[in-house]
Amino acid sequence: MRFVDEFRDAELGRVVGHEILSLIEPGRHYKFMEVCGGHTHSIYKYGIDDLLPANVELVHGPGCPVCVIPMGRVDDGIALAHQDGVIFTCFGDMMRVPGSEGSLLDAKAAGADVRMVYSPLDALRMAKRNPDRQVIFFAIGFETTAPSTALTLKRARAEGVANFSCMCSHVTIVPPLRALLESPDLRLDGFIGPGHVSTIVGARPFEFIPADYGKPVVIAGFEPLDILQAISMILRQRSGGRCEVENQYTRVVPYEGNLRALEVMAEVFELRPHFEWRGLGFISHSGLKLSEAYADLDAERRFGVPGVRVADPKACQCGEVLKGVIKPWECKVFGTACTPERPIGTCMVSSEGACAAYYNFGRFAREREVV
Amino acid sequence: MTVLKLDAVRGLALCVDANGTRSTVETALVEPVARGDRLLVHAGTAIAGLTRGAP
Repeated sequence: MRFVDEFRDAELGRVVGHEILSLIEPGRHYKFMEVCGGHTHSIYKYGIDDLLPANVELVHGPGCPVCVIPMGRVDDGIALAHQDGVIFTCFGDMMRVPGSEGSLLDAKAAGADVRMVYSPLDALRMAKRNPDRQVIFFAIGFETTAPSTALTLKRARAEGVANFSCMCSHVTIVPPLRALLESPDLRLDGFIGPGHVSTIVGARPFEFIPADYGKPVVIAGFEPLDILQAISMILRQRSGGRCEVENQYTRVVPYEGNLRALEVMAEVFELRPHFEWRGLGFISHSGLKLSEAYADLDAERRFGVPGVRVADPKACQCGEVLKGVIKPWECKVFGTACTPERPIGTCMVSSEGACAAYYNFGRFAREREVV
Repeated sequence: MTVLKLDAVRGLALCVDANGTRSTVETALVEPVARGDRLLVHAGTAIAGLTRGAP
């Protein structure tokens, strides 16, 4: 299939692998962060970390949309789901994220009307089919997903769907990256930039990383060759004495982003002063809420939510995994108390979560190595 | 996904993915769209057209 097969070509992969080998300085350790959960998934799925030389280490970043939702927000969603007459809709992964007293799936089992949707548009359609019920969409995700929510809210307004509203937990990618770069825990040599977020925001928002922190960024696609090529491009920048934002994913990422998407987001959303991230704490101007113009479609205003902050479970080390400080298998509960079937932390829930990706694609190989 | 049918008035397209699954997609961010176009779809919204080069 065009746009897929050519980016999984084994022969080209070998060529890029040799390029990487030729670019590394022996005896030097390289640490690159892939920001996006989609990259983490591909890295484990295709065994890219096993293809790399031992001194090139990939560190997983905070770009899995489900992983960063704090327990308090899940509790708020569950509180809304239990209200009379409400149909609470969310993406499938979100149903399994644990709150302080269970997940949305548990709430469904206890009688709440929680339903999985593939898109906000599906939730709006559900509202039109159920005019006597209030349909709430639990909106999560980075800038990749936020335009979809924004367009649906505009459509709800245009079509006069009064029984539809949105609990907005969208987040933005730059503030957590800045927080990570300020963190003394982490010494990074470069970033594999988030491909699909960049489809919307473009490459410009990442220019502060080379300018202020002296780290190269290469925005990359999600196929194995994309990721290998991005690593090779970062190494080439370093060996050539360059430090800039480059775009490997030119087939879908324009440097200036998608201006229509940015416009619709600016109309429908505004920045929250603070937003809590799972494991990372409160980060200023990192979350979106509905703008005043769309306040009547804001489920939090329409129904009210507890809004209580809940600390992460003590055993859970998702925060350290999200910051790239530890690898998934270094968490105390990885693969024992915390599995994709019974997750304790969010990183084990979503297929883009570092722990779930590692558990599903790599765990057994590593166990064999240990034995 | 590939565009099968367009509803230009409502800004929607019926699309099919590689597995043959069909779904309705918002096209506002990538218009103009034509039948047969390949789109990058995320959460029911086309966020980019797949038009540019291969490696």
